[in-house]
Amino acid sequence: MDFSHPFKHLYQNQTQQPLSRRGALRAAALGFGHLGLSGLLASEQQPSNPLAPKKPHFEPKAKRVIFLFMHGGPSSVDTFDPKERLTRDHGKPLPMKRPLAFADAPAGPLMKSPWEFKNMGQSGIPVSSLFPHTRECVDDMCVVRSLVGEGVDHGAALLQTFTGSSTFVRPAMGSWVVYGLGSENRDLPGFVTIKPALSHGGSKNWSSAFLPGAYQGTAIGNSGMKSKDIEGEPIEYLIRKGFTPEQQRFELDMIQNINRRHAAMRSADPELEARIQAFELAFRMQTQAPEAFDMSKETEATKKLYGMDAPETSEFGWQCLLARRLAERGVRYIQCTHSYKWDQHGQLFEKHNENAREVDKPIAGLLRDLKSRGLLKDTLVIWAGEFGRTPVSQGNDGRDHNPYGYSIWMAGGGVKPGFIYGATDDIGYHAVEDRMHIHDFHATVLHLLGMTHDKLTYRYSGRDFRLTDVAGSVAHKIIA
Amino acid sequence: MGLMRACSFLAVVLASFTLPLIAQDQAEFFEKKIRPLLAASCAGCHNPKTKTAGLDLSTGEGFMAGGAGGALINTSNLTDSRLLRVTSYDETLKMPPQGKLSAEQLQDLATWVNAGAAWPGVDATKMAPAAGKMITRKHGSAFSDAEKKFWAFQPVQAAKAPSVQSTAWPKSPIDNFILAGLEAKGLKPSAPAGKLALLRRVTFDLTGLPPTEAEISAFLADSSSAAFAKVVDRLLESPRYGERWGRHWLDVSRYADSTGNDEDHRYPYAWRYRDYVIDSYNKDVPYNQFVREQLAGDLLPSPDGAQINKRGRIATGFLALGAKAIAQQDKKKMLYDVYDEQVDVTSKAFLGLTMSCSRCHDHKFDPILQRDYYSMIGFFANTKSFKDAETHVSKLLYLPLVPPAEYKKYQDHLDKVSAKKLEMEDVVEGEKERLAKELTPRLADYMLAAKTVATGAAKSAGVAKEKNLDEPILNKWVEYQKFDWRQKPHLEAWSKATPETIAAVARTYQENYAAQLVKWDATIARWRENARKMLKEMDMPPPPRPEFKAEEDGFFFDIYFERGGPFAISERDQDKRFSADAKAAMARLKLEQEELKKNGPPEPDMACGVEDASSAVKQQLFIRGDYNSLGEETPKAYPIILTKGGDVMPGDKGSGRLALADWIAGESNPLTARVMANRIWQRHFGEGIVRTPDNFGKMGERPTHPELLDYLASSFVDNGWSVKKLHRQILLTAAYQMSSAPSPEALEKDSENRLLSHFNRRRLDVEEIRDGLLAVDGSLDYEMGGTMQKGVGTDGENSQDRLSVNPDKLKRRTVYVPLRRANLPALLNLFDFGDATTTSGKRAVTNVAPQALFMLNSEFLSERSANLAARILKDKTAPAERLELTYLRTLNRQPEAGEIDSALTYLDAYRKKFPGDNAETAAWQSLVRALMASNDFVYVD
Repeated sequence: MDFSHPFKHLYQNQTQQPLSRRGALRAAALGFGHLGLSGLLASEQQPSNPLAPKKPHFEPKAKRVIFLFMHGGPSSVDTFDPKERLTRDHGKPLPMKRPLAFADAPAGPLMKSPWEFKNMGQSGIPVSSLFPHTRECVDDMCVVRSLVGEGVDHGAALLQTFTGSSTFVRPAMGSWVVYGLGSENRDLPGFVTIKPALSHGGSKNWSSAFLPGAYQGTAIGNSGMKSKDIEGEPIEYLIRKGFTPEQQRFELDMIQNINRRHAAMRSADPELEARIQAFELAFRMQTQAPEAFDMSKETEATKKLYGMDAPETSEFGWQCLLARRLAERGVRYIQCTHSYKWDQHGQLFEKHNENAREVDKPIAGLLRDLKSRGLLKDTLVIWAGEFGRTPVSQGNDGRDHNPYGYSIWMAGGGVKPGFIYGATDDIGYHAVEDRMHIHDFHATVLHLLGMTHDKLTYRYSGRDFRLTDVAGSVAHKIIA
Repeated sequence: MGLMRACSFLAVVLASFTLPLIAQDQAEFFEKKIRPLLAASCAGCHNPKTKTAGLDLSTGEGFMAGGAGGALINTSNLTDSRLLRVTSYDETLKMPPQGKLSAEQLQDLATWVNAGAAWPGVDATKMAPAAGKMITRKHGSAFSDAEKKFWAFQPVQAAKAPSVQSTAWPKSPIDNFILAGLEAKGLKPSAPAGKLALLRRVTFDLTGLPPTEAEISAFLADSSSAAFAKVVDRLLESPRYGERWGRHWLDVSRYADSTGNDEDHRYPYAWRYRDYVIDSYNKDVPYNQFVREQLAGDLLPSPDGAQINKRGRIATGFLALGAKAIAQQDKKKMLYDVYDEQVDVTSKAFLGLTMSCSRCHDHKFDPILQRDYYSMIGFFANTKSFKDAETHVSKLLYLPLVPPAEYKKYQDHLDKVSAKKLEMEDVVEGEKERLAKELTPRLADYMLAAKTVATGAAKSAGVAKEKNLDEPILNKWVEYQKFDWRQKPHLEAWSKATPETIAAVARTYQENYAAQLVKWDATIARWRENARKMLKEMDMPPPPRPEFKAEEDGFFFDIYFERGGPFAISERDQDKRFSADAKAAMARLKLEQEELKKNGPPEPDMACGVEDASSAVKQQLFIRGDYNSLGEETPKAYPIILTKGGDVMPGDKGSGRLALADWIAGESNPLTARVMANRIWQRHFGEGIVRTPDNFGKMGERPTHPELLDYLASSFVDNGWSVKKLHRQILLTAAYQMSSAPSPEALEKDSENRLLSHFNRRRLDVEEIRDGLLAVDGSLDYEMGGTMQKGVGTDGENSQDRLSVNPDKLKRRTVYVPLRRANLPALLNLFDFGDATTTSGKRAVTNVAPQALFMLNSEFLSERSANLAARILKDKTAPAERLELTYLRTLNRQPEAGEIDSALTYLDAYRKKFPGDNAETAAWQSLVRALMASNDFVYVD
């Protein structure tokens, strides 16, 4: 393409004026490297792109994260934590004081799982018939049966799962990760969330809060949209309708011409330069990003592997395949949300079956695909809801929220494969062995990424903040 | 220290041998079971070194002393001891965190505790629990001299303007303060800004919009010395001023139109508070009154003598409109989170203090005690923000803006509507009862028939006819039979019935069903009677209709209630199944209800606000912020450091908010006037005299010009707290009218421009960018006030209605765009709007690629540039004239010669490179867009 422009001369060969220290630091905070930062004292930190890759605290096991979020709260005793006692004592009253519940009504009796469990693979980890495909990959998975949160309602539980705090607005885990490690692709955002939920805190669950805006999660559509409506413009304002790249470059050169002239008439102001650079980065982004979202080059076999050929699995399959494409391109933190499905206060049997069907094949496909491409070893895949569900029934055929002990699993990224960590009591209500509070979970994820959770801090409002607040300990037993 | 510890350990060991305070078997039990258990499972964290939660479980003394959460043993009720509660794993706090103790270990602990928890060698009676001691400083005496002398807590001193060498420069005493600072560093102020730059600067500053061509020519034509003062007066009188400066206050008061957090319920009347703020700025309501209204407007008499202080009630939206987690099930926690949020916004907005940091312990940096915090909480714990906090999803409080009598009329009308609804329900219930009586005796027949059909022995039509059953109902029974009894345990007997027993089993189901129906009918009858009584006699809205709980009788629930249940009568079925009389009655009642609704009074105006609670809460300190650990009583009071130890008690009556408001808005409060004067200065200059506008504490910045701040604060008070007078004072200085070009010396000696040697260039904020562009192409809609929020409550989890309205598609000013807190408009997120959750006196300014994408690609910019290009092409014909208008509109100045050349070259090149029918228009659009997207537009010098 010919981008020769009639006024190149206007912004070439301009002399740099001295730059203030404040200005230079601000430029650094704004995130753009600037060749003219000679005004900086040598002892001061070199300014850099906030998303430039950074060294972790120590050699990491995982380089990136794919978080598969099951919004609503899948039931642990029906998926990864079989409880023989529930079968035995089915219909009997809860043998303990019920902790704070979401439902106002009194607790129903113990309810056994309507699904059969089977010991799978070499490891023999039991998984229920809800996940016929995923359970074939069980030897790659590390099942944590002892997660503990504090939120008994969705809003609090989501916020805590993603930010550590169930009450306050805090940076999301993805924001912390990108703040700590930067991104490996300068043309794509470092933290991407595919079809996130609008409810239960909405964007607060992927916001950078007080961290610089560059660490904000970039939403690809939202949970209420279909993939075919997202594909056209996956990132807000990414595409100018009815305008060719050539026209755009031509116009951008005029913008930069005006900007350079404007800057030249003022003594060097790094903010002005930062904005000039932002336009260049934006142009690169809009040129490069669409390719990452274009699945037309994927083979039919790959699409099939993710279940994109069947209507019930095509949506989540699309999300998972997109996650893999972004992971391949160096996006640091990717989330796929299956929303808002798993909240079975009633119709547990029917709806859990339906939900599991939608995600099972895509998830298995993702794990297999990552593995065959050699990506699984340094990609940490996390599967979790915001809490589990009670071992007692609600109504005829439902279960209430249970944050006191629930199951999640992780795979790849340096976790012990084919391993079970932690345990709940004999009915699956409370975690009693190797309890993993959400703070511990966060500490462990950061550890896998090569970061010490209490050293990843950010000073705001006179205080050092961190993802794990004042708590968190790494679950070393799950690390391979 | 090691030695000392060893010694004390030795003392304990010795004591246990020489002074047997407990029986030998008890001591043995302790040494064998308990001491190893505590050492292995607890002392990892609760040891003398780490002392997590202030607790040391390695020694008897430590054990008896307890920790921050209080004593471990409840001597008056041993089984209720904290040690047993936390290890039981039944409560929120679960110890040990790595996993529950074994049943045997728990049993041992219980045995030991129930026997008195004796620790060999330690006399428990001599030990005092440590709770509270270590975490609360005692009264004012605990403050250090440095804390007492901290600048922000000293009274405001009316400072005299310092003398300066360059006496020609100052236009006002304010300039003397600035110039004195510069001269002390050997710096000079920059030259005055050019007229056009100054006009653009002040117009955006005061109204958030660019100057118009007419305003530009008028100012250029006015060579009088008062020309600028006239502009300032004109702008301050413009209603656009309130929209701009009201928005600044809305940042401080963390305004939004929904609760955010979990359910994100709309605040349906929040907009009235927003309009109140805009109106207050436009009318220049004295700031002390503004403060009092927002904290206690509901308690102030109406200014016009009306029965209801409408304005005051609306103003309390300041307290009511915070983010809330209304689906939180721990309702006490939810309420104290709300009070905490109210303390936070009050202390930050008015006092520049971060009082919320003292919720769990004394403030780490400032002399604010945990006691001060809970004394402050007392004002809000006695204030209502909810109509009913205890419901599953708590109900927000709405205040009527009409006198009680008028509001009662409306409520009476609502009651009439409910009464009519009740009458309709009577008909429906009557019919249902009648039908149920017909169907119940046939239940067994239906079940048996359904079985026959299900086994494929016969078709349902045939069976229905033969047995005289209703075919659609029979089909529902057939469907229902398909349920696996493992999902529906109450179907177990039915599923397991044999051909021999099946008839008897069906009869049993029928009998049970009939009995349950009698019970349920009685429940409903009781409720109906009660509801009628409440409506007619007690003049109260009826209680909610009882709901049948599936747990009570799953079979009855499935058959009678579940949607599609075989004997349930849905609204759709009513037409088919109801008698002619009943249908006629329903039709008549529906008509009457519609009539009633049509002729009833309209819903009166309401506000989202607060009012005093009816019952008094005596607030206590929560140890470590945990409401289960109660500490000393904390009567309502102001922070001790600000009252110099002299306890000013607002009294026990009511919430005390009015007293609090008077104290904050009082002239002797050292912070209120300073904090506000600083906010105003900051908005004019880009940086405050204190650069952390919401934190005047130790971790905040120190003032760059402390005397100037006091000068501004005291003249603010002397001028009757008039914000507009303060604007004039500041804007008419030489300092405000300086150029934004720094001298090389200034860059070197004062790179952060703390001394203000030049004006701070600034990027427009998102409102100015959006509103400014709408103004530039002439499509800005100047309508004021009201709401564009649609819908009520919240929306489905995946509904796009959860998104804020997209401002790209609107023409109103940005301040009127409703804000759904959980999903703020993408455009606002993009340009550093903040999250509308906490006080934000200063927005971040970032320049990132996604913002550039908005400029390059958004339809919004396409529309703006197309509109302006069309207008320019229509109004002018000569290219030079066209360019002049383009520059005047977008950049508020004439193009320079070089710019004209390059623009013309660009237009020409564009037309050639991209020829076509619309080449001319497209080229102009592109040029206009480039100017709109440029730094030239987005920055103000």
